[in-house]
Amino acid sequence: MSRVQREANVTWEGNVARGSGSISGATGAFTNLPYSLATRIEKPDGKTSPEELLAAAHAACYAMSLAGELAAAGSAPDHVDVRAVVTLDQVEDGSHRIVASELLARARVTGINEADLQEVAEVASKGCTLSKLIEASAKVTVNAQLEGGS
Amino acid sequence: MATDRKAEVTWRGDLMSGNGRVDSVTSGAFGGLDVSWAARSEEPNGLTSPEELIAAAHAACFSMALSGGLAKEGHAPEELKTSATVTFQPGEGVTKIVIDVAGRVPGMDDAAFKQAAEQAKENCPVSKALAGVPEISLTARLQG
Repeated sequence: MSRVQREANVTWEGNVARGSGSISGATGAFTNLPYSLATRIEKPDGKTSPEELLAAAHAACYAMSLAGELAAAGSAPDHVDVRAVVTLDQVEDGSHRIVASELLARARVTGINEADLQEVAEVASKGCTLSKLIEASAKVTVNAQLEGGS
Repeated sequence: MATDRKAEVTWRGDLMSGNGRVDSVTSGAFGGLDVSWAARSEEPNGLTSPEELIAAAHAACFSMALSGGLAKEGHAPEELKTSATVTFQPGEGVTKIVIDVAGRVPGMDDAAFKQAAEQAKENCPVSKALAGVPEISLTARLQG
C-alpha cells in the first residue's frame, strides 16, 4: 500500500506562560482547538492538549489494530471500546515527559475467552504503530475485558 | 505533578469494513470524530486518523516548547505558525514527520530562530515520545 500523509496546523501567539494556541487538522475533522500551558498541565477547562491528542491517536490506532487481530483470530468483534490515558509528568531535571499510555479495551466478541482476548490484545499493541513508538520512552500497558460475557 | 488526559474510542466490526469513532476526551474539546481504515490509508474524505492526531499533538507541543525557548532568550514570539506532516506506511508504521515553522519574533535573527526551533524539536515531550520515528525533520524561518 502506498504511503499516506496527514497534516495538522497550529498557530501560537505570545509567550509560553500566558500565550495560547489553536490546533487544526488538515482534513477539517477538527479545527481551531484552543490550548495553553496552564490547561495542559493543570485543569483542562475544556481545552485540549498535545497529550490528549496523543491519547486520541493511540486509542484510535489501537482500536483498529485490535479489530484486525480479533478478525484474524477468527473472532471479528461486534464492537470494541478503547480508552487511552496518557500521563505527562515532571522528571528530575524539571522538564516534562510523557511517561505512560494506558490502554483499556472492552470487546463485545463471541468465541473467545478472556485469557485469549488478553493475548490477542497484547499482539494488537505490538501491531499498533503508536504503541511501538511510545514504548521506546514510556510505559504502555494493555488490559482487555470481554463485554457482556462470551 | 502528573497530568492525565484520556480519550475514548469505539470500533464496530472488523478492520477493513468496520468503522470507529473518537467518542470523547477528558477536556471535552472534541468528540464524535469518525475514523476508518479506508480513510486512514487512502483518501481521508474529511475523516481524521491516528496520524492526523499525532501531527496535531506534535505541532502543538513543538509550538509551545519553541515559545518557551524563545522567551527564555528574551524574544517572546508574537506569532508562530507550525505545521506537522506525518507519513504513514501501512504495514510499517509512521516513517517520517516533517515540522515547518514560520515565526514573527521581534529582535531575533534567522540563525538564532533556527537554533531555538531545533532545540524545541529535540526537547518537547511529544518529540521525546516519538523519538522512535525514523526521520523527524524541521524547517524554520522568520517572516516579516
